[in-house]
Amino acid sequence: MSHSNANLFSPAFLLHSRNYSNSSLLVECFTENQGRFPAIVKGVKGRGKSQSSLLQPFVPLQICWSGKGEVKTLTQYEADGKMRHLEGKSLYCGFYMNELLMRLLQRNDPHEQLFHTYTEQIRQLTENGIDEAKLRYFELDLLDELGYGIALDQDMDNQTPVDPQGYYHFIPERGLGACAAKNENAICGQTLLLLQSRNLLLPEQLREARNLLRAILGFYLGDKPLKSRELFRYFYNG
Amino acid sequence: MSDRPLLEQLMDALRCLPGVGAKSAQRMAFYLLERDREGGRVLSHVLDEAMERIGHCSRCRTLSEADICNYCASSKRDDSQLCVVETPAEVVAIEQATDYRGRYFVLGGHLSPLDGIGPREIGLDLFDQRLREGNISELILATNPTVEGEATAHYIGEMARARAIRVTRIAHGVPLGGELEYVDGGTLSHAFTGRRDF
Repeated sequence: MSHSNANLFSPAFLLHSRNYSNSSLLVECFTENQGRFPAIVKGVKGRGKSQSSLLQPFVPLQICWSGKGEVKTLTQYEADGKMRHLEGKSLYCGFYMNELLMRLLQRNDPHEQLFHTYTEQIRQLTENGIDEAKLRYFELDLLDELGYGIALDQDMDNQTPVDPQGYYHFIPERGLGACAAKNENAICGQTLLLLQSRNLLLPEQLREARNLLRAILGFYLGDKPLKSRELFRYFYNG
Repeated sequence: MSDRPLLEQLMDALRCLPGVGAKSAQRMAFYLLERDREGGRVLSHVLDEAMERIGHCSRCRTLSEADICNYCASSKRDDSQLCVVETPAEVVAIEQATDYRGRYFVLGGHLSPLDGIGPREIGLDLFDQRLREGNISELILATNPTVEGEATAHYIGEMARARAIRVTRIAHGVPLGGELEYVDGGTLSHAFTGRRDF
């Protein structure tokens, strides 16, 4: 399938890159049409090679690749518009999104919509820094794209619509169920409806939404925790 | 393993060096055996010694034979400046190229969550201890200008700022003798935003 892609540029981001042998990079591409796949970029490292500054995460690229195997070869790449610089906490946030995509996306599954959401999110991060609400919406989009989306306005235990005054929690593989307000991970019905309509505003709502999404993502991520969360710890603790 | 010819084992072993493939390994092995056996013996002896005895400095984590390396032990160096780098090779590069005579701290890598490398893996608990000892007035960040280096610099910078230590970062920009036209966009925009009074 990738064969027909020869010499056609496709918008892409690199999710990750690491050294491979002496002068090459092994990168994980996230493309508009082909989803995520690994590729080798040959001869870009070492003395007098500076072009690899493009080959970093969060840089919007246009890339060409070839190869039939699982690991492709990147044949051409160029910047797609201005180079973006993520700094500080926005950078941590970028790592967090990349780690989510690396862990949850299947290779070679196209996710065109998600690619656009991701592009938009990176642009936002560069221009305005972290917007916690937008990050939550990104997580929701990711879950929807993967087919793990849950109905935020339905109480699955009682088969009733969510009551703005009630409290709910996440039940794996079912959705939301009513629970006591004291429950640590309880989320208020009102917040659920605001999350659904993408109108989160208050710090309390953001905190509840964060806990809910952490619980849902945690279920699909399994036992291994996300490493990029460790970066934020310093800010929350100290 | 042991019933293979020794010559073959030697060639295989040489391939652990960076940039050495099958052909170069073969050339090296033949050279040592045919032209320079003495050199080969010295090499094997020194290599063995070095692998045994060189460890990491317990203060700055650079490579060192002694528990405390020369940079940390020297009384002539300035205690109030601390330069953070990623690898021991960078300590040597800075030593050779600059007049810097403060102390160093070697991370041995950079924060890279996607490779499973977090703050603990690059010795930041030891680093925090170093900051707590006090008497550092300037922290110089010399991590690489990659996204991972950037994240590392930011993280360390926050740690230092929490202790009210002045944080500086080495400048990034157009290489000396370079031409603007051929400098890549990212570097150029970085250099442009980082311009200073002249």
